[in-house]
Amino acid sequence: MRVLVVTSGVPFIRGGGEILADNLCRALSRAGHDAELISIPFKHYPPNRIPDHILACRLLDLTEACGVRIDRVIGLRFPAYLTPHPNKTIWLLHQHRTAYELWDHRTAGDLIHYPDGPVIRDTIRQADRELIPEAKAVYTVSKNVSDRLRRFCGIAGEPLYSPPAHAAQFHGGPADGYFFFPSRVSRMKRQLLVIEGLARCREKTRVRFAGEADHPGELAACVEAIRHLKMEGRVEWLGWISEEQKRELYANCLGVIFPPEDENYGYVTLEAMLSSKPVITCSDSGGPLEFVVDRQTGLVADPTPESLGQAMDALWVDRRSAAAMGEAGRARYEDLKISWEHAVEKLLC
Amino acid sequence: MRGGAEVLAEGLRRVLAGAGHQAEIVAIPFKPYPPERILDQMLACRLLDLSEVAGMPVDRLIGLKFPAYLIPHPHKVIWMLHQHRQAYDLWQHPLNDLHTYANGGDVRASIHAADTKLLPQSRGLFTISRNVSLRLKTYCGLDATPLYHPPQDAGCFYTRPAENFLYFPSRIDPLKRQNLVLEALAQTRSQVRIYFSGPAEEPGFERTCAKLAHKDGLENRVQWLGAVSEEEKRDLYARSLGVLFPPLDEDYGYITLEAMLAQKPVITCTDSGGPLEFVRHHQTGIVAEPTPEALAAAMDSLWDDRERARQWGVAGRQRYDDLHIDWDIVVENLLA
Repeated sequence: MRVLVVTSGVPFIRGGGEILADNLCRALSRAGHDAELISIPFKHYPPNRIPDHILACRLLDLTEACGVRIDRVIGLRFPAYLTPHPNKTIWLLHQHRTAYELWDHRTAGDLIHYPDGPVIRDTIRQADRELIPEAKAVYTVSKNVSDRLRRFCGIAGEPLYSPPAHAAQFHGGPADGYFFFPSRVSRMKRQLLVIEGLARCREKTRVRFAGEADHPGELAACVEAIRHLKMEGRVEWLGWISEEQKRELYANCLGVIFPPEDENYGYVTLEAMLSSKPVITCSDSGGPLEFVVDRQTGLVADPTPESLGQAMDALWVDRRSAAAMGEAGRARYEDLKISWEHAVEKLLC
Repeated sequence: MRGGAEVLAEGLRRVLAGAGHQAEIVAIPFKPYPPERILDQMLACRLLDLSEVAGMPVDRLIGLKFPAYLIPHPHKVIWMLHQHRQAYDLWQHPLNDLHTYANGGDVRASIHAADTKLLPQSRGLFTISRNVSLRLKTYCGLDATPLYHPPQDAGCFYTRPAENFLYFPSRIDPLKRQNLVLEALAQTRSQVRIYFSGPAEEPGFERTCAKLAHKDGLENRVQWLGAVSEEEKRDLYARSLGVLFPPLDEDYGYITLEAMLAQKPVITCTDSGGPLEFVRHHQTGIVAEPTPEALAAAMDSLWDDRERARQWGVAGRQRYDDLHIDWDIVVENLLA
């Protein structure tokens, strides 16, 4: 089958969406299909550029290439998933979030601050409501994304999980005295909350952070908090690390901290489970809650410094139950039967 | 589809990155039929916004192909691979069909209008060859400086003593005219042999060629190697007696340059476009009329005088070196 994977992207920026798109193409090729990735550039500001980009995607023609039919289009990201095709499957990474659940979010909200914001928001919602159902099938990357799609657009989408990149290479290991928090440094991932949580711990807990900052400001805020709370001795800031280093840091940690705000899916949870480590997440973290079973494979805390601090203390003092939760997490991953073969089969059926 | 354009874009990206710039390729899919879809996709490109990413300005946009080169940007430079040729030099050409549609003329007029009006909005207008510049001048009245660039892995080409074959590396395609070469082969006086390599993407034309090779009993004088690796290709260049490259109005043509790098004479045609900017008749190769007779005479002439063929090959390499075809110069101009 000739399959085009169609997504939107911001040039020069790579994140989970790009990794998923690449891995999907590779999985399609492994399954014997002729697969290619198309990424349509997307700039979402000022707001009036958004309808332009929606229209641009609607004007593209992916039905054939050089007279040969393209059998299937798999749309991933807004607005590229709106590109028409008679045989389209949508595998929704997420909608344009600031037109939906992040519309009036105190920091992430952007459209809301523009005079034409409400009109553009309604345009986006209308486009999604009317055009997403053109697809032959609608899948999403998680229950969380499916829930939002149903809540805001009244459209049913089946969650379809995918493994993280290089899933087979993750492995467990003996626990050293640190928690690991790998993520882009950003407000939505809440490194700041973890630093504050650390300050509330009774034990001398330690956290290693890895990942680059979206904006220099995000990093500065964390550095300032560390200094202010005198946490210098208990925090290690690793910045960018290689995939190999990341796997070693997972393998040797006591537990993984991943308390983002309303994450779509979250590879970090799955990588922790693959490494047989318990995960501390929060009750409003979204995607991770589909995987972390409180007190069985990790701890679900309230999104407050106190509650996070207690969760860290609990794992820190009881290493044996932390290790047991990690093993249970690995077993749960296996039970979920998350595989690219399965994802490809579903997307093409 | 991957062809010369994709190789060029990737080569340019790599050179920009090597020069310390952050560079990325944005490829917009394009389907040129039915004709009204061309207008849609021109509009789609005009609607995209590449002025910034995440609040940081994109300092330079380099447009390569229609209609993506129409994407607006305050600091755009165009390095044109070619325009939409069906609306220009290939309009009413038997191999193309835009003119056969009821709205073909209108769509052609819109393409002309868009190119003529929007291309001058860029802050620099370059092309990949004199041939492409000349078309742009002829049809749109626009001046553009040609900027040559080296073929992929230019440093890896080498030469070997000539063996008994002429080499024709190219996609098996009507515009490359393998059929013409086969018709010529039937008329050679000597037992000239030809190795063809390159993927076949048009089954109909492939059959035409197979029939021609069969009809005149040329089977044992022709070898079809199909798609070959870059290493195999360089080996074939190196061992050939000369290179055949008689396409119809080629934009640029890496094959000419690769032959020169491998110190081999090139046989091309008077209507071949790009190759004519490099091949000097009876100095670095032969420029023949695009007829079986003339091509046959050219092949015989290389076949019969090996020493002269060798000298032309050496002169071709010298000419390549004299031209200073260098990515650094390309980048310097595109970023000036």
